[in-house]
Amino acid sequence: MTTTMNGKIRTEKLSFSYGERLLLGDISVEFADQAITAITGPSGTGKSTLLTVFNRLWEEIGGGALRGRVLLRLEGRWQDIHAAEMPVSMLRRRVGMVFQTPNPLPMSISANLAFPLKLAGIEDKQEIAARSREALLRVHLLTEVEDRLGSDARLLSGGQQQRLCLARALMLHPEVLLLDEPTSSLDPKACTGIEELLLELKESCAIVLVSHYQDQISRIADQVYLLGERTLLRQR
Amino acid sequence: MSRLSAAERALQLTTVCCGLLVAAMLVLMLVLAWPLLHSGQLLSLIGGDWQPAAGRYGIAPMLAASLLLAISAVLLAIPLSLGTAFAAVALAPPFLRSPLMLCVRLMAGIPTVIYGFAAVFALVPLMRQWIGSGSGFTLLTATLVLAVLIAPTMIVFFVGGLRAVPQGYSLAADALGCRPVDKLLYLLLPQAAPAITAGIVMGLGRALGDTMIGLMLAGNSAIMPDSMLSTGRTLTSHIALVIAADFSSMEFKSIFACGIVLYLLTAALVAILRRTLPLPATARP
Repeated sequence: MTTTMNGKIRTEKLSFSYGERLLLGDISVEFADQAITAITGPSGTGKSTLLTVFNRLWEEIGGGALRGRVLLRLEGRWQDIHAAEMPVSMLRRRVGMVFQTPNPLPMSISANLAFPLKLAGIEDKQEIAARSREALLRVHLLTEVEDRLGSDARLLSGGQQQRLCLARALMLHPEVLLLDEPTSSLDPKACTGIEELLLELKESCAIVLVSHYQDQISRIADQVYLLGERTLLRQR
Repeated sequence: MSRLSAAERALQLTTVCCGLLVAAMLVLMLVLAWPLLHSGQLLSLIGGDWQPAAGRYGIAPMLAASLLLAISAVLLAIPLSLGTAFAAVALAPPFLRSPLMLCVRLMAGIPTVIYGFAAVFALVPLMRQWIGSGSGFTLLTATLVLAVLIAPTMIVFFVGGLRAVPQGYSLAADALGCRPVDKLLYLLLPQAAPAITAGIVMGLGRALGDTMIGLMLAGNSAIMPDSMLSTGRTLTSHIALVIAADFSSMEFKSIFACGIVLYLLTAALVAILRRTLPLPATARP
């Protein structure tokens, strides 16, 4: 595997299994910074699992076993995400994630947005309000919710919830954004809005997108990988 | 459909029977305590002291000791139970969580008398030494043991509530960089508040109703306690101690008044907690 100067995520001989079932076998790959990398492939091949490897979320799900190394280029140098000097909470604040199913926390819209900032120790109300407004604006949700920021986020429609989750993931300006079929619950207009947003966002971070939609991949992806038979094959 | 209706009718009937049984217990106690209540001693019964030789059957000291003991034990058990539940759900290393809950369930199954017996030999001498006078049988001694006794019940409720929080919320919080302690404070605890309240109500009910710990460790003096270091007699201990008296005596009849007070007190405390603390929607009156 060749190392590129603008790489952001790198795996070295990465294998992952759930019990006896090997999902990912000996994968060495590098995903570019300031680019959208799409991962596609048949259902059940481990695309979502691969995403959770990059922010170590698989460890919370349990039952998995990982071998090999996963590195992230931060501040100009490659760092092992399992190294002791990188606490998992810190890693996850730099690697945002949006799930296939919208999962707003059981609190108000504004509290959902403030939550990651609170975890990072940011408590200045003006800063929280400004960042929330900016994030909602970016995901085209501000006009729809600005008069009810105090209401329960779970009362939003599915598409609105997904955009809120994306806004929440953007609150800490992540360096990597992991998206697991983020537009599957959106209508075409919102979907287009999100795609435009991703094209803007890739200027400031690396985006890894799992998607089944080939037309979407061809519109926005810079790199495309096919995951199947435990291996990751570059298609574009 | 008809089978479901039959099952529903059976459940309704069971509910009505349970309600009637609870009401019947109150009526029975009222009937048995009637001679004492009828003799115009109601106020002196509730507010007076216990001097049976002088014809005074007041239960105020026992009422005060019961409340003091139960509330103190619950206040002590809450942090103990919450800490254990947090450890069992999120804070302890995963390999320790199951053994921890196994210990908790074992503790819940140990008979109360064993706790009391162990405390008589292990805790009472320490209390005697620490206080510097007296026998070491005090309300504080009983409170410490009662807190340990009711904690497993509360822990089981707390853990159930914390584990019932949907995994989707938990994963969302993890993905945002929540540390285990953040997740507990900001997500799990608010979500589990109804179960935690239910656990506290159960713990309070168990503390108020427990007989053996008060009887074995609190000293049993039928005097108004002036501190946690004084001796005291709970309502339940009082009933257990007086029940051997002559059936036809007023002394004996007074224990039914104790039963009524205990019954109403438990119901009132549970009602207050249900009104003031968040409870599961299904448990709302």
